[in-house]
Amino acid sequence: MNDYTHIIVASILFVVTLFTITKIGGKKQLSELSFFEYVSGITIGSIAGEVIMGLDGNLLHGVLAIMIFGSFTYLHDLIGIKSKKFRDFFEGNATVFIKEGKVLEENLKKEKYTIDELNSLLRQKNVFKTADVEFAVLEPKGDLSVLLKKELQPITPKDLNMTVSPEKEAHTVIMDGNVLNDQLTAAGKNRGWLDTELSILNVTLDNVFMAQVDSYGKLTIDTYDDQLQVPSPQPRKLLLAMLNKCQADLELYALETVSDEAKQMYNKNAAKLQTAIKKIKPFLNE
Amino acid sequence: MTVAANVNQCLSTLKGIEAQLSSFAINSTVPEASKIFHETMMVIGEIKMDLEQRKIQLEKEEPQYKG
Repeated sequence: MNDYTHIIVASILFVVTLFTITKIGGKKQLSELSFFEYVSGITIGSIAGEVIMGLDGNLLHGVLAIMIFGSFTYLHDLIGIKSKKFRDFFEGNATVFIKEGKVLEENLKKEKYTIDELNSLLRQKNVFKTADVEFAVLEPKGDLSVLLKKELQPITPKDLNMTVSPEKEAHTVIMDGNVLNDQLTAAGKNRGWLDTELSILNVTLDNVFMAQVDSYGKLTIDTYDDQLQVPSPQPRKLLLAMLNKCQADLELYALETVSDEAKQMYNKNAAKLQTAIKKIKPFLNE
Repeated sequence: MTVAANVNQCLSTLKGIEAQLSSFAINSTVPEASKIFHETMMVIGEIKMDLEQRKIQLEKEEPQYKG
């Protein structure tokens, strides 16, 4: 076997081996979350590289070593699920670096981090002032997780006491001009509905690159023809406007009428509609 | 526009709203949203009934504007 065929055979063999090992190891292997995955990831890679290029080596030796490293990570994962002690020993705990806004120098020293390195990690989290941090912890993987002080955290609807309409995941129902039937079913829709919606938007199926339907049954599409102006109706906003108009009309009629009985009826209904609008308003925001 | 015509117009808008709400309630996959759409639809239905009665009254008073 000459050098070239050796390299070709070895490369193909190791692509298959590495693929199998990573498939078995799963997503966790790729994330390199723990010490073991990190080490085995590097080692498996270098073994493969070494055996492919080291022309005298026996191919099967390399495969064996990769299998061993792969099974070690696999075993480590399996035992880790069962035992907390095992996990603590192999993966280590997170180390608290900043608590209540104060840097814990002892822990920095223990992990051999300098204040410059800590500052650099903080900057990567967009924090430029240590005083802004309430709590920061060094994860076993080596990156820093930062909890900002409450007043510096991004504002949320909850902070503002706002009600927002709940929204579930969108479903992609058309890809490359093909209808994905299982996604369509998951969204609770059918072909008839999709055809109607597409005709409302005035496009044909084969011109649609991608279409998604949100949890309110609204279809948004992207067409192959980027010059095409697709109408983007906002039916929920329109409905809110209509509700408001009706409410204003009722109030107006109450002012205009001379009959006391009718005035009362209009006022009662205007108030009723007002309460209903207040309740439904968060759901009509899109 | 006469009063009767105004009320008539408002009634049609309410009918439109009712239909739209019903369509939203069916098309939404979020139960909370469906519920609130449905509840609002009921409220609109009640208001519609009151207005319909008023419309009949008005038509009695001004039969020439019966639409």
